[in-house]
Amino acid sequence: MKRLNHMLFGGVAALALTAGLAVAETPERIGYIVNYATHEWYQNVIKGMQDRADELGIQLEVRDANLDVARQIAAAEDFMAQGVDVLIITPVNEEGVVQLLRRAGEEGLPVVLEGNPVRGMTTMVAICDYDTGYHAGVAAGAHAMEHLGGEARVMNVGLPLLSATVLRSMGFMDGLQTVIPDAVMVHDLDGGGNPDRSLEVSAAALAQNAEINIIYGINDSSAQGGLQAWKASGRDQDNLLVVGTGGEGLAFINAMETEPAWRIEAAMFPEKVGFTTLDAAVALFNGEDLPEHIVSPTAPMVGDEWQQFYSVEGDVRTINWDNVNQLEAPAACMMTAADL
Amino acid sequence: MSDTSVAAPARATGLAANGQLILLGLLVLLVIGFSLGSAQFFSAENLVAILRQCALVLIVAAGMTLLLISAEVDLSVGASLAFSGCVAMDVTNKTGNFALGAAAGIAFGGLVGVFNGVVVTRLRVNSLIATIATLMILQGGVYLYTREAVQNRHQLPSFTTLSTGYVGPVPIPVILATIVCILAWIVLSRTVAGRSIYAVGANATAARLAGLRPERLRFTLFVLTGLLTGLAGLILASLMNAGQPTAGRGFELTVVAAVILGGTSLSGGRGTILGTILGVLVLKVIDNGIIILRWNQDLQMVVPGVVIILATWLDQVRRRGDGH
Repeated sequence: MKRLNHMLFGGVAALALTAGLAVAETPERIGYIVNYATHEWYQNVIKGMQDRADELGIQLEVRDANLDVARQIAAAEDFMAQGVDVLIITPVNEEGVVQLLRRAGEEGLPVVLEGNPVRGMTTMVAICDYDTGYHAGVAAGAHAMEHLGGEARVMNVGLPLLSATVLRSMGFMDGLQTVIPDAVMVHDLDGGGNPDRSLEVSAAALAQNAEINIIYGINDSSAQGGLQAWKASGRDQDNLLVVGTGGEGLAFINAMETEPAWRIEAAMFPEKVGFTTLDAAVALFNGEDLPEHIVSPTAPMVGDEWQQFYSVEGDVRTINWDNVNQLEAPAACMMTAADL
Repeated sequence: MSDTSVAAPARATGLAANGQLILLGLLVLLVIGFSLGSAQFFSAENLVAILRQCALVLIVAAGMTLLLISAEVDLSVGASLAFSGCVAMDVTNKTGNFALGAAAGIAFGGLVGVFNGVVVTRLRVNSLIATIATLMILQGGVYLYTREAVQNRHQLPSFTTLSTGYVGPVPIPVILATIVCILAWIVLSRTVAGRSIYAVGANATAARLAGLRPERLRFTLFVLTGLLTGLAGLILASLMNAGQPTAGRGFELTVVAAVILGGTSLSGGRGTILGTILGVLVLKVIDNGIIILRWNQDLQMVVPGVVIILATWLDQVRRRGDGH
């Protein structure tokens, strides 16, 4: 019952956030400390946050911790000293942010976390990694039934060090097996999340397992590394499906346009994460009760479906907010790191 | 050329031969062991995959071998590899010309070499420190150049053929690596320049007194290593079908580990291209075997670390035996 209440509460929270903002007061200044601004994912989170801040007439200031917790703490202290109205943090690590939350609480400063939970937090905006993989797995199953003779032998180009990426891979296999119960993961690789390492480990796995017909990447770089290893081995893409995850840059769009096998992208819409996080910051500023985890929506994009959500001109991609904002987020994640 | 500069490599060659035999034996044992563990290890497809993975490392390791023999090191090669690939892809996109893109990528690597060479030989900054600084500059700089991977917009077949094409059964990157290694071997073992590199690395002061110009030679070797890194970056961009700013992390450690494992002395004055080839092969065979046998992939980080320590210790033992 408690879980059901939580789900219902969480489910309406995201909608209420956007609806309620039309009449609520808005903070003047919000400070955001990102953990690693050079990563494409966070560039797009910031972009979405900035777009929403501009819409609401809020001044958004961004500082990069560059994976340094000391730098993150220093930036937060600066923001507090400058008197920002709300703080948004993507934690570099838990311990550093626990102290910050305590201090912000003493000063009455609302704090919204993005991405990772921390003890003592009020609210966090994040995607559901397991669900993202799961729904991509279901879509992959449908594709395999139609185009791969109902067989699914998966090479997972994963990253076992991070719970988020482990959840994606688990979700993918579970979703796939709802359609094809005999689907198997024939190789579970550590591609390190980067393209060249993924290529290297994939080349060895492909040499060992000639029967692989699905490559799942926990991010786009991993999927790209797997696909390039496939191509380098001289195979054609006729009986292959590649599924990428993230959709944070132009890479997946380029791949879906030019690579016959890259048919599914588990899109995570980082801009939407930024958008939702800023709305959560405004709601918290207005004293609203928010769930601990506000889920930002993800969705598998099959074939040309990416064009519903993004347009590309030259090297610039633009999000279609109308369509992205229509995506429904689940009230709660099917599985989280706590369940591992 | 002085007698001193000729004598050094002759003695080093004798000592290196033993080390190379040990490495060759180790390589054979690894191949037999992995083949017994999994029949697929010794398949033609896997051997080609191993050679292709060796190619990128070998191209840069050939330059690094010369540099280490001259008692210098370049730790910026991983970052330069990524940046060169981005430049090559970007210029090819903008010009629609593969030759221009390739030239730009290789030239960028060369420029990084010029920068390193100037900092080390003119400003007298220790090469370890200088090239770590360059690595940091390049890792940050590539994000100023491009915020994300540079995608292939030109779709020129020749660009992808560079990495995925074959001449007969041999992948093109392997052919390029072979050519680079043969040239480096000729330079080291058959030319005055090669003997000068050994002499400068063994004793720069004596080499200077013998009429050599160590700083100019080292500068040239930094540029050469840079150019080879540019070539490897070009091949990587072709292989990835994108210029990847996140690529090449840890690449410098793999290269240095392979060169040291191959018997090249960190203190300079000793090393061979054949040893480097064997060092690269041993590391890559271990890497590949761990995946084929489905061992824990964390071992791929642990094993090179252990290998570096062992190889460095062996180098010290050899030096003591050599009376250095």
